[in-house]
Amino acid sequence: MGVRFLYEVQLENPVLVASWPGIGNIGIITVDALRGMLGAEEFAEIEPWDFFYPRRALLSTGILQHLEFPGSRFYFKRTGRKDLILFVGEEQPREGGRAYAEGKKAYHMANLVLDVAEELKCSRVYTAGAAGALTHHTMKPRVWAVPNSESLIPEIRGYENTVLMSDIEGGGGQGNITGLNGLLLGVAKRRGLEAMCLMGEIPVYLQGLPLSYPKASKSVLEVLCRSLNIDVPLGKLDESAEEMERSIEEFYRQIPAEIRGQLDRLKDVTYARPAEPGPITDEEKRRIMEDVETFFKKRGEGV
Amino acid sequence: MNCDCPASNREKPGFRNSSLVLGWSKDGGNLGLRTINYLNRKLEGQEFAEIEPERFFSLGGVAIREDLARFPESKFYACQEHELVLFRSDFPEAEPYGFLNSVLDMAVRHCGMKELYTIGAMVSFSAHTTPRQLFAVVSLEEMKEALSQYDLVGDTDYETPPGERPTLNSFLLWIAKRRSIPAVSLWVPIPFYLAGREDPQAQRKGLSFLNERLGLKLDFDDLDAEIRAQNQQLARARSGFPQVDDYIGRLESNLRLSEEENAELVRRIEGFLRAGG
Repeated sequence: MGVRFLYEVQLENPVLVASWPGIGNIGIITVDALRGMLGAEEFAEIEPWDFFYPRRALLSTGILQHLEFPGSRFYFKRTGRKDLILFVGEEQPREGGRAYAEGKKAYHMANLVLDVAEELKCSRVYTAGAAGALTHHTMKPRVWAVPNSESLIPEIRGYENTVLMSDIEGGGGQGNITGLNGLLLGVAKRRGLEAMCLMGEIPVYLQGLPLSYPKASKSVLEVLCRSLNIDVPLGKLDESAEEMERSIEEFYRQIPAEIRGQLDRLKDVTYARPAEPGPITDEEKRRIMEDVETFFKKRGEGV
Repeated sequence: MNCDCPASNREKPGFRNSSLVLGWSKDGGNLGLRTINYLNRKLEGQEFAEIEPERFFSLGGVAIREDLARFPESKFYACQEHELVLFRSDFPEAEPYGFLNSVLDMAVRHCGMKELYTIGAMVSFSAHTTPRQLFAVVSLEEMKEALSQYDLVGDTDYETPPGERPTLNSFLLWIAKRRSIPAVSLWVPIPFYLAGREDPQAQRKGLSFLNERLGLKLDFDDLDAEIRAQNQQLARARSGFPQVDDYIGRLESNLRLSEEENAELVRRIEGFLRAGG
């Protein structure tokens, strides 16, 4: 079980941006879109067979030709400033039927990813993911940033459209990031590497649905590009975001008017500091969530 | 214990040129398990090793099946006269790659395994009166040539459909291919309405091939008697229930049944066989 290099690369002061699938596939769409926009080249992959069950067999004239596993691939792009290493994990290694990676396999995969990062003298690690938020799908998603070192906080405060956990009303600077998008931060800290996770907001009423939310990926990508000081055309993400928005609107219209009315109030939510009363009270938030949960339970879908 | 794979190993069979036949429990029609049990009984197989379960099974209690508490089992048996190793096991719940390699490690390093055979069921929408075919998928071209003289369907083209996953036998075959082990995965179609019970005719099909290929010199009088008995039971079900006869008749004419009709046929046949026919 290890990393297989297709060829050796020499990079200048690289940073790693990694992601695995999660809610709304926000993180993985972010990194995969960046990979496509930059034309990054694959140079290594994590051998999959100890982590994953195969997903496709190919037989030809009675001979087993190929067994395909979920990919865990590294790409690179020279930018002239900070070179980039991108890691795209097509699946999180799960144990015991859990929704997200945890335990021995997850820890091992996180270490393999960071082995490559350290071997290439990586100076920083980013992961990307999703944050279920009391927001409306017509609003521009914000980005929640969680660093693994206090020294990164001033820099994060300078990012546009970005909040720290302590900025989120009622959050008190607490929370957790499930799966490898979070675990990698912890393992990086253990190895003395600075890292941050950038999470695009997805409305709480969409986070349990099997849909992608590219609009939030775009928000994450904007922050990431600013942090990396790179310029990429985000037009393609706009197209897929608009397409998804139409599907969401169609779904939204099916929600009973009374619940929709409650959800519409999420358009007024702001990220006021806990000391300042927001436009929706905690009691109202609780009721909105209860109504939404009841509606989705009746439809047999998760929230 | 004298093995660096996670298997306990009691008395090595001392084989140098053995074949391994492998079957899983919970297969359609219990085909894998019944095939291994049949060979074990007829060839007087002796248990000699097992894979320790803690790495591969959750062990969060015990499962109850047919009134009995069950514990995961992954056991090797040796049939001395034919240099044959049998392996029967529950599906591993974790680390399938490690588990399958442990099976091959034991067979190759300690039993001199040269060829691997797996047997499994393929649920089919044909009637039980349709002659069974035996499908074979091999790991290496040389194995395909070696099997060309047998009555096998060996030219299958297939790709796992979206939303489905390859079988554990395909995973094993792939590992065997990487290790250059000649291996064949045998598949016998089982009518869907017998998949929850048993299908001695399917069992006979797989066993006939193994008998010929491995020179086992088995007679199948007992299995043939089982086939006759089940055919008679199914004939009684058809004569007792016109609807069952209609459904099976349509399957015999290569017509498809609706999902509701399929479910009704399964319910009727299983109930009839459970009640002793």
